[in-house]
Amino acid sequence: MPVTPVRHQAPQHNLLRYGTEAIAIAQRILTELLRRRRSLIFWAIFPAIILWLNGSILAERAQIPTAEAYANAAPATLVGAALFFSCLGGSVATVVAEREQQTLKRLFMSPLSGLSYFLGIFLAHGAIALGQSLVVIFLALVVGAEFQGNPFLAALIIALSVMAYVGVGFILGTQFARRTEDVNALVAAFGVPLLILGGAFLPTRFFPKSLLDIAQYNPVFHMNEALMAVVSEGEGLDSMGNHFTFLALFAIGVTVAGWLSYRRMVNVERRL
Amino acid sequence: MTHPAMTAPMLKIEGLTKGYGGPPRKRFWQRTSETRATEKSASATKNHLALDHLTLNLQPGEIYGLLGPNGAGKTTTINLICNLLAPDSGSITIAGQSVSEATKLLVGIVPQQNLLYNSLTCAENLNFFAQLYGVPKREQRDRITRCLAQVNLSDRAHSPAESLSGGMKRRLSIALALVHQPKLVILDEPTTGLDIEARYELWELIRQLKAQGVTVMLTTHLLEEAERLCDRIGIIRQGQLLREGTLEQLREVVQAEAIAQIDSPDEPAVLARAQALGWDIRRYGSGIALWLPEALDLRALLAQLDGIAIEAAALHPVRLEHIYLEITRKSYES
Repeated sequence: MPVTPVRHQAPQHNLLRYGTEAIAIAQRILTELLRRRRSLIFWAIFPAIILWLNGSILAERAQIPTAEAYANAAPATLVGAALFFSCLGGSVATVVAEREQQTLKRLFMSPLSGLSYFLGIFLAHGAIALGQSLVVIFLALVVGAEFQGNPFLAALIIALSVMAYVGVGFILGTQFARRTEDVNALVAAFGVPLLILGGAFLPTRFFPKSLLDIAQYNPVFHMNEALMAVVSEGEGLDSMGNHFTFLALFAIGVTVAGWLSYRRMVNVERRL
Repeated sequence: MTHPAMTAPMLKIEGLTKGYGGPPRKRFWQRTSETRATEKSASATKNHLALDHLTLNLQPGEIYGLLGPNGAGKTTTINLICNLLAPDSGSITIAGQSVSEATKLLVGIVPQQNLLYNSLTCAENLNFFAQLYGVPKREQRDRITRCLAQVNLSDRAHSPAESLSGGMKRRLSIALALVHQPKLVILDEPTTGLDIEARYELWELIRQLKAQGVTVMLTTHLLEEAERLCDRIGIIRQGQLLREGTLEQLREVVQAEAIAQIDSPDEPAVLARAQALGWDIRRYGSGIALWLPEALDLRALLAQLDGIAIEAAALHPVRLEHIYLEITRKSYES
């Protein structure tokens, strides 16, 4: 074999390669989820129960028809509760489990790029979010709920919510959680107050002004309000633009921060 | 057969140095141009040198054993070959290419632990790694079938990894390293924790890899394993290559035909007699080891030690463990 002096080569990555790798990562995460059937069932049951509880409480307390109550409860159930636990809790758990089992280091011994891994986790949780959205929409439609507004705008809000949750999940999973046991405590400590303050369980219109003032800084509040405005009230960007802008900026911000935290973690993990 | 000098090495490591530690970095608000300059110059003098100008060459198709005590720098060497770390100085080339993300395609790595996705089946684990290594989709199924057959796991293709025995998990780990048909396979303590049958199976698999022309780098603490499998052996300690060569070449370090292991309540008498006979003396564990310059049978040995109380005596041929202990002993002395 002749020696051919080769310059330090850049990895032969292109868009197609990133795409293939990200799909492989997402496929693996989803296959693992499918294997753990119980987790998959819980991810489906959770939004169904929250939708039923939220819809029933709203119908009774606000004295509105069940269909309308479910139409109002669906956005908060989806972006406020379901996606929070699946996308934020799920991404924290994925990152922590990979670190704990050291499979992350094994992955980086392969030519897998860090970006593909990051995108793969987004993709997998996007697929879970899609499944949960379908469950919530289907159940709400079954009781006669009617959704209005631009479906593309609604899908964009859901996508930004997934992005925000996975971004935060990366920050928490790479910086604060070292073991699987840390995940629950972390998600509960950060998440539950944010969910309540975001109107996931109790509509924000019942909040006192002092809490509403604080809620303005809570991304969950803006996700709920934006999606509620589109699907329940049929509004467009012009009337809920401030919620949408906050959500978009937050999603982009935490994705960048999540990427930086992840890069830092990868550098540390490589040395172990 | 091509003369070794005519072929370029599959793996060439030259003057590789890697250190860890160094002075703690200041917080960014405490940093000035002065502290930055100090940090820069201090980074050259790390607290701990894991590798110190290590130079190795692995020829295509050979099995090379890298031996050394814990902390000798074996894992750091592997991490550098896998481009997980950047060296402080020196170079690594694989099949003539400088180590980069691209050379990861040439290397198959079997880490110390079985890093598998336990809920995935064997075939799914392989399929996942085939995708990561860019194996063309149309070839993936064939490759997976072949790899499973190669490691004798065809009948467990659809079993979850968590249901496999320790030996099977190890074989699956090896299959994962082979799925992209690498030119160089690195096995980091491959038989640690395996029973003897699983160990023999794995040794056979490693021999098959060699027969297929794959270059194998093996790190192990089992000297018998290195003795049986390796064409050449390198011994490192504190990041430096102490010695390398074939078993025959390394054997020159121990100037003896056989080793006699003696347990005696009267050790001074044994030592005095051995000195009088001009035999070298070593201590391996609790007993005394005598280097016999010529082969003796046990009766002849005991005759030489006549008049000294002997509790136990055994004769051994010179083995890699004696060579290894001698080389590391000399390095400790120096």
